[in-house]
Amino acid sequence: MNSKVVLVTLIAFLASISGCLTGAIDDKGMMIDERGVEVPTERVLTIVTYDIYGLTSERIMEFTNQTGIKVEMIKLGDAGAILNHLLQTKEAPQADLALGLDNTYLQQAIDRNVIQSHGANISNVMESAWLPYNGTMAVPFDQGSICLNYDTNSINSSQGRDVPTSLWNLSEEAWKGKVAIPSPVTSSPGRAFMIATTDYFANDDDETTNWTDWWSAMVDNDVIITSGWTEAYETHYSGGYGVWNDDHIGDANFVVSYCHSPGVEAYWADNYTISTSLTLDRASFHQVEYATVVNGTANAEYADLFIEYLLTEDVNLNMPIENSMYSVLIDSGLPADNGYLYHSELPSLNAQVSPEEIAENMDSWLAAWEAAMV
Amino acid sequence: MKRKFENIEVALPFFLFSALVIIPLLLALDRLIYVSGKMPWQVFSSLDEHYLSQDAIGFTFLQALLSTALTLAIGIPIAWQLGRYHWPRIRLMRALLTLPFVTPAIVAAMGFMAILGSDGFDLRGERSTYLVSLLFAHAWFNIALVIRFVDPVISNLDPRMEEQLRLLPAGNSRWGRLRCFWIPLMFPSILCAAVLTFVFSFTSFAMVRWMTPSNATLETVMADVGGAAGIENYQIYSNELVLASSTIQFLVLILALWLLSALQAKRSRTIAEVSESHSRKKGRTGWLVLIPALLFCLSPLMAVIRSSLRVAERGPVISHRWTLEGWQSAISGDYAYISIIDALQNSLGYAILTLVISLPLGWSLSSGIHLLEKRGSYWAKPLDILTMLPLAISGVMLGLGILLGIIRISTVFFTMWWMPAIPHIMLSTPFVVRLLLPAMRRQDPELIENAQVLAMNRWQILTKIRMPLLRGPLIVAGIIAIAMSMGEFGASWILVRTGAWDTLPVLVDQLMTRPGFDPLVKPTAMAAASLLMLTTLILFLVAERFRPDGDGGMF
Repeated sequence: MNSKVVLVTLIAFLASISGCLTGAIDDKGMMIDERGVEVPTERVLTIVTYDIYGLTSERIMEFTNQTGIKVEMIKLGDAGAILNHLLQTKEAPQADLALGLDNTYLQQAIDRNVIQSHGANISNVMESAWLPYNGTMAVPFDQGSICLNYDTNSINSSQGRDVPTSLWNLSEEAWKGKVAIPSPVTSSPGRAFMIATTDYFANDDDETTNWTDWWSAMVDNDVIITSGWTEAYETHYSGGYGVWNDDHIGDANFVVSYCHSPGVEAYWADNYTISTSLTLDRASFHQVEYATVVNGTANAEYADLFIEYLLTEDVNLNMPIENSMYSVLIDSGLPADNGYLYHSELPSLNAQVSPEEIAENMDSWLAAWEAAMV
Repeated sequence: MKRKFENIEVALPFFLFSALVIIPLLLALDRLIYVSGKMPWQVFSSLDEHYLSQDAIGFTFLQALLSTALTLAIGIPIAWQLGRYHWPRIRLMRALLTLPFVTPAIVAAMGFMAILGSDGFDLRGERSTYLVSLLFAHAWFNIALVIRFVDPVISNLDPRMEEQLRLLPAGNSRWGRLRCFWIPLMFPSILCAAVLTFVFSFTSFAMVRWMTPSNATLETVMADVGGAAGIENYQIYSNELVLASSTIQFLVLILALWLLSALQAKRSRTIAEVSESHSRKKGRTGWLVLIPALLFCLSPLMAVIRSSLRVAERGPVISHRWTLEGWQSAISGDYAYISIIDALQNSLGYAILTLVISLPLGWSLSSGIHLLEKRGSYWAKPLDILTMLPLAISGVMLGLGILLGIIRISTVFFTMWWMPAIPHIMLSTPFVVRLLLPAMRRQDPELIENAQVLAMNRWQILTKIRMPLLRGPLIVAGIIAIAMSMGEFGASWILVRTGAWDTLPVLVDQLMTRPGFDPLVKPTAMAAASLLMLTTLILFLVAERFRPDGDGGMF
């Protein structure tokens, strides 16, 4: 055993740490240089988000050019992961702005004090985007409805496979093992769809059964539950772009996605798609995604500027192409190019569940869902 | 006095390593117990009470045991051929056959999908094939272990031993030689490989997620709910599931690693060895084993490169066109926060940092264990197992531990660019130890004693005797550490990621999970995966050049 090696190990370790500590930022937002002296830092906005696909590096660069504020991204898996991150780092927030909490998670973020009121100047957001929540804690930046999509090639009346008129049809023999749904425990679209089923079955004609009975019936009918949207849509769904992928299985004719996913399919495939949405009343969930200022941030002003930037026409009107979601701006819509608009059906009646109800009941709903599935 | 000094020398690296590995783990455990309000043994039943973790325990054991059996069945004949016969370009072949082990699992899974999918054997439509394909994928990943453990035993064997055996009654027949000689000779090495294969199959994540989507293992359960763990009054069940899964996993793996440590010590005390060139014979029918083996190892990787060069032509007929557009968009960073070139630079930066720390640390740990072994100390075995501990902790627990640990210590660390290197160091150090320790055990102690007689001081002994003699294993260990760091994904993914720090595996995952409506997304992801793979291959080929003849380490 040799002391020099130990010494070298320690020196290397300490050097790597000390080298970085000189770049540390103290609680006043000042950088400490090698001599321990505070020097002003560049203006940096830290955003925690899942991959918002519209936020390309060019868009971020544009914001920096306009405002002089540098943007750093903390990228997480999905909306649930953002809430988890905000809760885990509540005592010492790491980000200034959270992008991507939706109306299934927003109220929990409010109730647990991880976000604060914004100060952005907002006047161009359409009324429907304010429907789930219209306070000052969150600003909508995109939206869409989550519902079942199906492969039109799978419909065959002679084999008893008609277009479902009720969710109960999907628990019938004809669709055994043909429905893929992301788990509400691990996926945001899965959670939104589960919420929709609570409202759908609370308002159907049948008073002897409830929403958990349907999920149990779906388990008996070999429903495919996946951990995330990608796996359900890409790997299992027979009507989507997954058929061109190497990992495709294609054993499901129905999948939970956005009601406008067939439009996105068509847009990227020169107006070709075999997918369409099943927009049964109350079987869809109107999802709004929000920009929220992290509670306790020293950079709320930068966060507000970014929210305003996110709602400029230049950025937000491109949401349908760059982020595959609807814009929230007044009078905006989907582009007609390549059948995007034509193949995107709007549900006539989404599930009516408020963020407060969701926050209040989510734990018991998830427990009931688990019980129904086991 | 000298002994006291030596004790400090042994204790210091172990203290450093423990601080790096055990403290985050204890912090995570403490947090999970606090938030769930239950002790680990009180939560085992929760696994069966939840839909996403039902049958996870049974499936984890089943697939790990079957994977181990299949890996041995495929790996032993390959190791036999490589070790026993003379082959042209054997270093290249070894490198190619070992490449799967350092291929990021997500890339490998994509390669297998391409082979099993509609463009390949078209087996994905039938669910009954999923488990078998997972077993083959695990075998693909782990045959390197069998080769690296078993091949040197055969290739370094003094041929006179076999010749002498032939003169004895038991050595008359082929079966007799196998039963009385080869099996007892290879058994400890085969068991070592089996134990490690079991460990890696037990904790496999990406392969399970993609190959058997309808089954959960303890690792996938932890990955599914781990993100919500550790938060008070929030999704309490996720704490229970992580606590239960990680406790079971930890107990099983610690047992396996104890077994491995015992076997490896036994293995390095076997019979006299010679340089491998002495023992090699001309092979005749061996190509029948080696060509399919090379095809098996390379085809998933070729499939990934192929996918990077094809873009789907969307329309009523499924078709693709050949193009470099995927590579172009990967290089320009069109679909991600950074380009593959930036990501490669980040990966290499973290890899070098990992090397600078884990190589000296691994050396110090190995030296310490070796010293204790020579003294016959009771502590040698527990400390040997301690160095393998990171292999027994799941990526999720590792990541969660660091996350929770850092939140408690100081959030300043979140802004430190080197933070993601910590799990890389934790995961690569055990490999460095596994490589250096057997080599140190093989070193002739008389050399050091002679040097002491010649009044060489400790520094001279280190630089003039020990390091030059261990030059081969040291270089291989260094390159393995770089390769492990380059491919590491699970643990760093759990940690907070700042976009500008994205490494290649993280970038691959981001691109893979991005909705692929735009046909260019997948080829872009595959281009990033191909670059990662090719970089790793080059590192491996370099490592092979420095490997000493018949190196008997882990790789």
